[in-house]
Amino acid sequence: MAKVLVIVPFPMSEENRLQRMAQLAAVKLDPNVSYDFRPVRAAPANYVSEHDSVLADISIVDAGRNAEAEGYDAVCIDTMSDSGVTPLRSLLSIPVIGPGRASMLLAQTMGERFSILIMWERWRHLYRKTIAELGLQYRCASIRSIGIAPDNQSLMNGKEDEVFPLLLRAALRCIEEDGADVILLGSTTMHQAHAYLAARLPVPVINPGPLTYKLAEAAIALKLSHSRKAFPQPLVPKVDMIDAMLAAAQQHQQQGK
Amino acid sequence: MSKILVIVPFALDAEGVARRRDQLKAVKLEPDSEFHYRPVKAGPTSFMSPHDWTLMDLAIFEAGASAQEEGYDAVCIDTMSDSGMLALRSVLDIPVVSPGRASMLFALTLGSKFSVLAQWKPAIVRYKKAIPEWGLTAQCASVRSFDVEPSFDTLMDGKEDKVFPKMLEICMQCVEQDGADVVILGSTTMHQAALWLAERLPVPLINPGPMTYKLVEAMLALKLTHSRACYPKPQVPKLDMLHAMLDAAAAQQKAAKK
Repeated sequence: MAKVLVIVPFPMSEENRLQRMAQLAAVKLDPNVSYDFRPVRAAPANYVSEHDSVLADISIVDAGRNAEAEGYDAVCIDTMSDSGVTPLRSLLSIPVIGPGRASMLLAQTMGERFSILIMWERWRHLYRKTIAELGLQYRCASIRSIGIAPDNQSLMNGKEDEVFPLLLRAALRCIEEDGADVILLGSTTMHQAHAYLAARLPVPVINPGPLTYKLAEAAIALKLSHSRKAFPQPLVPKVDMIDAMLAAAQQHQQQGK
Repeated sequence: MSKILVIVPFALDAEGVARRRDQLKAVKLEPDSEFHYRPVKAGPTSFMSPHDWTLMDLAIFEAGASAQEEGYDAVCIDTMSDSGMLALRSVLDIPVVSPGRASMLFALTLGSKFSVLAQWKPAIVRYKKAIPEWGLTAQCASVRSFDVEPSFDTLMDGKEDKVFPKMLEICMQCVEQDGADVVILGSTTMHQAALWLAERLPVPLINPGPMTYKLVEAMLALKLTHSRACYPKPQVPKLDMLHAMLDAAAAQQKAAKK
């Protein structure tokens, strides 16, 4: 039996955590793999600024730093920003998988060019770094937004009738006007729209969260993990310091400061 | 009068900070620029793993996050990794200048290809990641290391005779074998070797720390700062939480030393 830890990038209620967990239902999974969804202890309010990215990185490292000691076989990170992936890889030997880079690479196994469908403009920066790092500027046909502020807690609940058709229209423009062969959902928080879009679009639509589960299962089965050469271990790991920082952050949030 | 905050990326004592401050002597500065050096409260011990980079981003971000309120006119970051720069730009309107990407762009005003002289092999990993991200792969002739473990505190004190000639040898390989038009010191911790090397090399050598001081003076004089379109502000700033986190980190480190 293999165990996978899925790190949820915001602290949340049990009800909202279960909505994140609903991503598991979108894909047929290996019956011998179990998934635990763990929210971080403290986080930025959302991911719209570099201020938020730095806080996101450290909170996700904190949530996953002991995963190997806790007996997990792989870690998935439930955000297209891939926040925390590289520092966690430096601390852990088990596979650590984020959907951002993975979905862009997988898209190229299915077509030449991809577009990223996003909720609002303020997410655009999340993809810039990954696209530049991978040198995929010429593979990215477009990033299109529907201009609706996302909710990282309740996701799209109650907004389906308004949001789904807008996403469909924007995705069609990605295909017809921009030349996309594959559509990526720009956030794991959009997973509720995946089935609707996939049924109506003429090209593949990547649902990034479920993709990471399959990649985790593949990594475990193939006995593959990240290269230590690309992700060297720290000479002096400071996991206790990270623990102290997130404990302080959590306390600060709970006091409602 | 301009007040500039220079953030030192390790939690150094006064002597360690003074060695960093010595970079000011390498360049003629405007008489009414005032440079204040501030070490981070807590951070990584080494700088060769993504674990270290993440901690340094956070530590530098915290050290400079209130610079504008404190009356500073600009911030310089004393590390070629540009750690913390993006986050600081998202919360500050004053210029935030860091030597990594800036030194490479500056090198391209002096020649068409640059090489980076890295301290030791573990330092190369980060350049390999940063240079494509900054879109400079085609302009980078090479990244070579002279294979001596760095000290972020004592820098090159006492190691000059052994280390400087080795640095020169590697710089010459960058020029002769790799085609570098300009050589960049890969770390601000190498500044003590800059003058010695510059006198002996047939191409320009960029000393990244002092370059940031001049760049910051230029930006202040030109009334330029970063683009808000590229570095949007957070909707919900959590700077108090950030300060609480670094205070906790400093307390933990102090307790761990005892």
